[in-house]
Amino acid sequence: MTKTFKRYLKLYGMFLSQYLKAVMHSRTDFLIGFLAFFLIQFGGIAFIALVFRQIPDLMGWSFYDLLFIYGFANIPRGIDHMFTDYLWLLAGNVIVQGEFDRYLLRPIHPLFQIIAQRFQPDGIGEMIIGILLVVYAASKGGIEFTAGKIILLIVMVIFSTIIYTSIKLILASIAFWTKRSQSILFMFYSMSEFSKYPLAIYHKFIRTFITYIVPFALTAYIPASYFLGESSLMESLGLTVSISLIALALGLFIFSRGIKQYESVGN
Amino acid sequence: MENMIEVKGLTKTFKSYKKGKGLSGTIKTLFKREVTEIEAVKDISFNIRPGEIIGYIGANGAGKSTTIKMMTGILNPTSGFVKVDGRVPYEKRQENAKHIGVVFGQKTQLWWDLPVGETFAILKEVYQVPDAFYAEQMKYFDEIFELSEFMGQTVRTLSLGQRMRADLAASMLHNPKVLFLDEPTIGLDVMVKERIRKAIKDMNKRYGTTILLTTHDMSDIEELCHRIIIIDKGQLLYDGGIDTIRRDFGYERKIVFDLRYDDAEVVGAILQQMRDEIQGCTPENMTYTLSESQLSVIFNRNEINISSIMNYVLQHLNVIDFSVKDMDIEAIVKRF
Repeated sequence: MTKTFKRYLKLYGMFLSQYLKAVMHSRTDFLIGFLAFFLIQFGGIAFIALVFRQIPDLMGWSFYDLLFIYGFANIPRGIDHMFTDYLWLLAGNVIVQGEFDRYLLRPIHPLFQIIAQRFQPDGIGEMIIGILLVVYAASKGGIEFTAGKIILLIVMVIFSTIIYTSIKLILASIAFWTKRSQSILFMFYSMSEFSKYPLAIYHKFIRTFITYIVPFALTAYIPASYFLGESSLMESLGLTVSISLIALALGLFIFSRGIKQYESVGN
Repeated sequence: MENMIEVKGLTKTFKSYKKGKGLSGTIKTLFKREVTEIEAVKDISFNIRPGEIIGYIGANGAGKSTTIKMMTGILNPTSGFVKVDGRVPYEKRQENAKHIGVVFGQKTQLWWDLPVGETFAILKEVYQVPDAFYAEQMKYFDEIFELSEFMGQTVRTLSLGQRMRADLAASMLHNPKVLFLDEPTIGLDVMVKERIRKAIKDMNKRYGTTILLTTHDMSDIEELCHRIIIIDKGQLLYDGGIDTIRRDFGYERKIVFDLRYDDAEVVGAILQQMRDEIQGCTPENMTYTLSESQLSVIFNRNEINISSIMNYVLQHLNVIDFSVKDMDIEAIVKRF
């Protein structure tokens, strides 16, 4: 078990170092991507700032509270974006074009091969902006960060990332039955936008939906609310960890059923 | 000796759902779907011994790829079974994958964005190839495929011939017991084809690798295969030595001439005379067809000298262009 894990880790390292080398080679591409993303983010932040010009607080949330949530949302999203971008292609043409065959011909897990197929440097920008915003909002908004809280933040980010990946995995795996599932993946993925703002501003139906059904609330608002003193550790971490693990188990289950389906009908 | 590959009663049926026409048709299919069953492979059985090179032949859509997919574990059969080196590939897919190599001529198995050199380093890790054997293999591949020519290039920048050499080397790195090669020479020029054939032969000799290959190229079969298996419409048509095929079809050649003429009847008369003028031109040994100023002559090159046909046609008719072709597999399958 540990031996397999080590082998996969080593393999991933080999892929990653190649991808990073390629990124270094095309530095201008990377910088342009980073800049574009920064401008988009700037628009989002400006919007929040503009709203807060008019009103001192939003249902008890200050500007820096919102910035903190907004920033947090970008971190797991960016990390997931970096590492699992190829799932979008699985939902796209991989199955129709018979590309999936090759993942079944190597003695390593097909999901690992899909993940290792691509590294998306754009995600680095998302993550960095997220970290900057979180640090800035925390220092301005008077959130004290102890070493313990930093560790907790990292743990929350990890499980929030798992939620992103699991949702993508579940929806991309539908393509094993439908041949393509990119539009449904896109539709649900767009809902992650909801996670950038406090849940309280939404209707109860949406709140329930993005907490339990498509749990994007757990990728930003719910974990962030702990640091803003709005919820207990149990409510935030407990919920995030348990739902992320359920989502991951479901994702892996659907993926492996999908392979069974593929084995019987092909492409 | 034990069989390396055992195929018994292998059948694969695909279900396909008919889609209705227009909106009303689409709605109808939501409630009642018309199922058509397509039998891609029907009750095929054969055995392959260790070290054999088998040509797996058939027209497009005959069921070759479906069979290979079942032998490599990508597809489950509907009934019957496959055993490769004692394993059922679709039941122990990853374990089976360690002991086989697969090349699809149409698409690469390699990572598009990686340099060729790095690809091999990664495959070494994937198949857990020991250092010493890896070094030996890489040296060997460099001899037969001249890999160092493009080791530093990424896979996407390779020419088709280079890519095929890299793909073949990659499939052989872990010294698999069985190699499945689906159209390994497709689209390649004669020189590269020759090099690839040499490498396949060499690999077979050096390690006793069992090789199953599909091809549309008659020379691949003549030069490589110990035995051929022909399937058509999913069924086994022929399983046996290459001699029968070689005797019956292997020596057939086809010359296609583009002609310029005013009167087809005159041309017809000239062609009639060809039978008398050239030695051995019996109807069994030589046939021709003329349509839309294209003349195709099919003849047995054992019985008739190619130069006598060329001479006759060039002397008597106004030839704009010509080409000499091997008999293609489709024609052979059709005549069975």
